[in-house]
Amino acid sequence: MKKGICIQKSPGQWKDSIAHYLNLDIRKYKKTFKKFNRGGLFLFFFFLILALFPSLFAPYPPTERFVSYEPPSAAHLLGTNDIGNDILSELVYGARISMMVGFATACISTFIGLMIGLCSGYFRGTIDELLMGFTDVVLIIPKIPLIIIIGAFLHPSIWTLILVLGLLSWESIARVVRSKTLQIREAGYVKSARCMGFSSFHIMVSDIFPNLIHVLMPKFMLTTASAMISEASLSFLGLGDTSMKSWGIMLSFAFSRGGFIRDMWWWYIPPGVCIALCVMSIAMIGFGFEGRDEKERRGMDAE
Amino acid sequence: MRRCEAGEAFENNTLKTLSGTMREAVKKTFRYAASFLLIVTLNFAIPRLMPGDPVKNLIGEDVYVSEAAMEQLRAEMGLNRPLYEQFTAYIGDLLRFDLGYSYHLHSPVAEVLRDRIAWTLLFVGVSVLLGAVLGTLLGAYAGWKPETKANRLICCGFIALSCTPPYFLALLCLDFFAFELGLFPFKGYYDVPTPGSVIHHMFLPVTVMALFSASRNFLIMRGSVIQEKGHLYAIYARAKGLYDISILFRHVIKNASLPIITLLALDFGFLFSGALFTEIIFSLNGMGTLIYDAIIGKDYPVLQGSFLVIALAVLLANMLADLLYAVADPRVRRPTS
Repeated sequence: MKKGICIQKSPGQWKDSIAHYLNLDIRKYKKTFKKFNRGGLFLFFFFLILALFPSLFAPYPPTERFVSYEPPSAAHLLGTNDIGNDILSELVYGARISMMVGFATACISTFIGLMIGLCSGYFRGTIDELLMGFTDVVLIIPKIPLIIIIGAFLHPSIWTLILVLGLLSWESIARVVRSKTLQIREAGYVKSARCMGFSSFHIMVSDIFPNLIHVLMPKFMLTTASAMISEASLSFLGLGDTSMKSWGIMLSFAFSRGGFIRDMWWWYIPPGVCIALCVMSIAMIGFGFEGRDEKERRGMDAE
Repeated sequence: MRRCEAGEAFENNTLKTLSGTMREAVKKTFRYAASFLLIVTLNFAIPRLMPGDPVKNLIGEDVYVSEAAMEQLRAEMGLNRPLYEQFTAYIGDLLRFDLGYSYHLHSPVAEVLRDRIAWTLLFVGVSVLLGAVLGTLLGAYAGWKPETKANRLICCGFIALSCTPPYFLALLCLDFFAFELGLFPFKGYYDVPTPGSVIHHMFLPVTVMALFSASRNFLIMRGSVIQEKGHLYAIYARAKGLYDISILFRHVIKNASLPIITLLALDFGFLFSGALFTEIIFSLNGMGTLIYDAIIGKDYPVLQGSFLVIALAVLLANMLADLLYAVADPRVRRPTS
């Protein structure tokens, strides 16, 4: 982004020559970036860096123990919790786990949704009826109660949580992918590829899939956002993995282990605010992708 | 002759639409039946598939029983019989509203649920309706004039709300309004069972849930109105000289609110789960607290029964939404093909 701005300021053919050599249209990229909310992008990268390099930001390791129930001070900016861990460090290390759950879930569900949507949109007919019928059936089942049951039977672990959440949140992706595939498969290049005798698999992968990325990206981001909220909710019920402290588990502990009754706002407000901000930044990026897609469609209609 | 032909054509047409509607209805019914079956099957299969002893899984983990009693229970529940026999027995139990026995609470699950679900349904119903009205109206207005400062602010606020876990919002409200300001009671549905007391107790939780539900409706409605107002009929209405307000509320809102109906049904499950968490925070004696206690006590029969009841409630809500949709949108009643 910075590069684009700086090049624009310098006079002359800079822009054009670089665009020519790199085979990129910088103006187009700048436009793309403008669609995103700047605050959302900034927040997202902030949380991403926090998640990737927690040791740079956390003042102490998350398991180191001090005096418990301490109010905020210079040594512990957000105080300490019931077993004496520094809350700020926990918060920083929690970013990785919360975001990992969100993105891993979104990966699984995007993959399943893509497969089902692509197959039913491309083959149509009976396969479409069957797959979409199945999607509608699964769509009705309430996710969180089901996850609560499964989570109660299994031992709480972050991987089962990811797996179950991922296996249960692909329906809207499948629907979107299907309707887009139905559009694309009537396009000239798909028809000509079929005439040339390419296999269905090849057409799906190399002709249809690249055109689906536009609709997949916003869905991916929104799925991530809702998975993070689900994770926080389930952790609150005590179904999370207590050995890997995410923000949801911190909130749950603050509620069940006396942070709320002792009025320790520095314990329960920061994780909640972090969840809200992080989810919001991810959702905003999703909206950004969506907005771009809509603009493009409108442009096409106008033509 | 001509009239006869026309009559025939008309008859043919109605027949076709009728068969089309019928086919749609049959398809829908089939799908609902399939979802019902899937829910029941899941409920049947989960305790038997999960790791651990199925007897333990069916009676709850905190119950201590001796080996001999366990064998007896196994025979009683028919767990050593073949699976299809177990399944038919299970369906038979369901038809008699027998959801198992909670050893933890010392009463049949169906009874426990019957006591709790009325309050939860009241809570969820009121807040969903309030949220739908609030979200639709505000969303319509925000979509009509998306550029104004106030509407942008509202939009940001609702995005923030929809990204906050509902229980965190509930926690903040409880802390601020009940603990700090002391305006509202901390827990329960009532002190004395009068409507005034119930309203006083329900005000905070219902507000939180209604705001949460409104935030989702708001975003959909806003987008929908932005899309609809670009259509020709809206421009025509303006060219005719109608007031903005009457264009919005008499013409645009009808078309724009169609997605809301679908969303309400699909969201019902989500809101229901959100309500469970809100109930836990406000210590309301409904399904949420029941499930919370059941998780802590590993009381599996109660969990399963709750899941079944919630899933059926969501199923019914979806069917209702389908019917409403046909009332609201005549195009659904006569398919184009």
